[in-house]
Amino acid sequence: MLRGVIDRFVGRGDAAITVPPMDGALRPNQRLEEAHVVMEARAPDNLILHHGDVLFSSGRDLRKLETGAVVRSFDRPIACVAAAADGRLAVGLTGAEVVVIETDGTVAPLPATQTSCATALAFLGDSLIICRGSARYAADQWKRDLMESGIARQGSGSVVLFPRDGVPRLMADQLRWPFGVLPVGDRIVISESWAHRLVLLDPHGSVRPEPVLLDLPGYPARLAPASEGTAWLSVFAPRSQLIEFVLREDGYRRRMVSEIDPDYWIAPALANGRSFLEPIQGGALKQMGVLKPWAPSRSYGLVIKLNDDFEPTLSLHSRADGSRHGTASVLEHSETLFVASKGGNVVLGLPVEELVEQ
Amino acid sequence: MSPLLEMRTITKEYRGVAAVKDVSFALENGEIHALVGENGAGKSTLTKIIAGAVALTSGTMLLDGKPITFAVPKDALSAGIAMVYQENSLVPALTVAQNIFLGKERFFNRMRGINIAAQQFLQSLNFGVDPTASVGSLGAAQRQMVEIARAVRQRARIIIFDEPTASLTPEEKFHFFGLMKRLKQNGVSIIFISHALEEALQNADRITVLRDGQHVLTDLAANLDRSAVIRAMVGRNLSGEIYGVHAGSKSVRKRGRKVLSVQNLSMGSMVRNTSFSVFAGQVTGMFGLIGSGRTETAKIIAGVLKRDMLHGGEVKLDGRPVRYRVPQPAVRDGIVYVTEDRKLEGFFETMSIGGNLNVSAMATRGGIFTLVNLADVRRLAKKWIEAIKIRAINGDARVIELSGGNQQKVVIAKSLVQTPKLIIFDEPTRGVDVGAIAEIHQFINQLADEGLAVVVISSYLPEIMNLSDRILVTRQGRVVEEFTAREATEERIMYAAVH
Repeated sequence: MLRGVIDRFVGRGDAAITVPPMDGALRPNQRLEEAHVVMEARAPDNLILHHGDVLFSSGRDLRKLETGAVVRSFDRPIACVAAAADGRLAVGLTGAEVVVIETDGTVAPLPATQTSCATALAFLGDSLIICRGSARYAADQWKRDLMESGIARQGSGSVVLFPRDGVPRLMADQLRWPFGVLPVGDRIVISESWAHRLVLLDPHGSVRPEPVLLDLPGYPARLAPASEGTAWLSVFAPRSQLIEFVLREDGYRRRMVSEIDPDYWIAPALANGRSFLEPIQGGALKQMGVLKPWAPSRSYGLVIKLNDDFEPTLSLHSRADGSRHGTASVLEHSETLFVASKGGNVVLGLPVEELVEQ
Repeated sequence: MSPLLEMRTITKEYRGVAAVKDVSFALENGEIHALVGENGAGKSTLTKIIAGAVALTSGTMLLDGKPITFAVPKDALSAGIAMVYQENSLVPALTVAQNIFLGKERFFNRMRGINIAAQQFLQSLNFGVDPTASVGSLGAAQRQMVEIARAVRQRARIIIFDEPTASLTPEEKFHFFGLMKRLKQNGVSIIFISHALEEALQNADRITVLRDGQHVLTDLAANLDRSAVIRAMVGRNLSGEIYGVHAGSKSVRKRGRKVLSVQNLSMGSMVRNTSFSVFAGQVTGMFGLIGSGRTETAKIIAGVLKRDMLHGGEVKLDGRPVRYRVPQPAVRDGIVYVTEDRKLEGFFETMSIGGNLNVSAMATRGGIFTLVNLADVRRLAKKWIEAIKIRAINGDARVIELSGGNQQKVVIAKSLVQTPKLIIFDEPTRGVDVGAIAEIHQFINQLADEGLAVVVISSYLPEIMNLSDRILVTRQGRVVEEFTAREATEERIMYAAVH
């Protein structure tokens, strides 16, 4: 108790308002800004491979990347999608349950009580892994969940394993917005956004998450397998000292959440510069009307490649002065890395062979 | 016409071992004469003989063609010979003005008068130092300026500079060499010792090379180039070994795990919200101009200095926040800092090599009551003398008796005794000869190859480019740019450091 008060006064421990540097493998570049635009679409997300085609979600539609054709539409915005090797699809709907679309086209909804606020899905053999971001809010209310939880050590997120014909099993709970899932060998990697980390889960045994990558400089989102290395990790927004400060000021956040439109909160964002009412970005680093690329911003585009030890080996950036922000999904297919920039309303394509380690 | 100063077959022996042997040397009127050679070549001994600090064993010294001997430095000073030592000889408790006038005071002194006179004198030399500031509060570069000013103030006919530019910024060096040329125009003869060969080649009229206490070469600077001087100094061509790396050709080590993460670290106006990471198995170079906060950042990490008490940022070692108030816990956690000022902070100069190493080893063990086993101390000294090739008779040799390069090796050995996982070298080859530079560089590379996280802070760009796998550039107290070894060029690094 006393230590907490002292820490808060001197700014150390949990009260240290610090952000890890983007250097080493995370050294900024302009690769996302320079990348080729494969498709323009409103808020693209959830890149998956289904029957050899790359699909992505945009609002309520699941669309084919090659042609832009709508493959299937739903009555609610799509929050997350996964495709099984046998052709089944699982789709998490915002504010509703997860539905499984069998190969014959039949739709089987899973119980909403156990699948609401699905943020990421993955098939593990016959089973389906569901990341539930929060027990309080729907997936599109992520900003509110972060602002209400602040820097709490425990969240209300969980990971549930749904065997095809068995009883659902809770793999981990009290997670802080699990937003990405990837089976790696006999383990499962989860990205925990508000904790800025990746954790490893054992689907068969212990439910205690084992952290494998800590202190990321942004909020991690979806994971995808990489041809060389373990995984691609998308990071949808950056951490900044201003936001870290606000996350430690409970009273301020309460008033902000109750009185101000969420688009204008001092909080991470998928895009910026769309309204003059937004909180100032870059501060003094905006000079002569030009925003410097290194300015601290609310939104950012970042994709990280991880090796077998889950250490970053290379990264792709869209910086403060760029527009391809809110990178929440990534997929490697046919020697191309596809990146969905939800804030930039584009799907980008980068030749994998040109992505050499930094 | 006879030279201003002539030395004929000079020999100086310590306990029967010759530090200089049969060396002949001549200094003409109004000449700038550079004296170069590896550490232990005998340069300092030769100049100390000239300045009266050391008595010669045999040989003759002539001033204006007349034989002369100096019993004490004061005799040399009376004869118009002043020396600016590599080791600082200022009184830290006195002000700059008091130090400049030290030994030349009148019976009654008015502080205001001394300050004004010192101010005018420093301005005439283009030295931006406050005459009322206490010398103890000055940085190394400013102390060096005061030292130089004091020698010039004594109106000497011969001034000897021992490594005068080691701690000066490029701009200060420019002023210094301008001053040297002005002194030359006024008829003052200058001997200067330097390890920066470019400085000798560009500014000296003649260059004399010593090796192992013997004269090797004296020639006009215009007739020599860098490789010729190095060949004469070490008896082989070392330039390729030391600074032979060009942008794009260096093989870069793979980055290991993140060992250190510095996040928004602040300390007064010297370190301002700086952030960077250090990885295992790599050499991370840190370049910046003097005053850019590199040393202070390193000292905070190692617990030598304290960050700001309020919101001073975080240092994470292996992902764990650490905050050291003194160096000992940092050493226990595996962080060691190899100081830039080895004479002041690096070792106990009157203790033996073994004694110094043992003190360091004890820092990791701690405890109030510790019995020292002399046999263990000797074994420790023997091990490290062999491991990093310290040139000394044995581990009982006192550090003060070693050359600069070997003293630096002792400082490095002291750090390695503590089995670090992160080692920070601050100016590892300052005041070290080319032969020892090659050995120290090789050793630093070896540490990184063995998987240690290594940070090298240096003001010398070729050194940074040669050693580093990645280069961080600091400016105004923070890391402002990062380069990989492949993309770094001197121009890009310097641009980031200045703009």
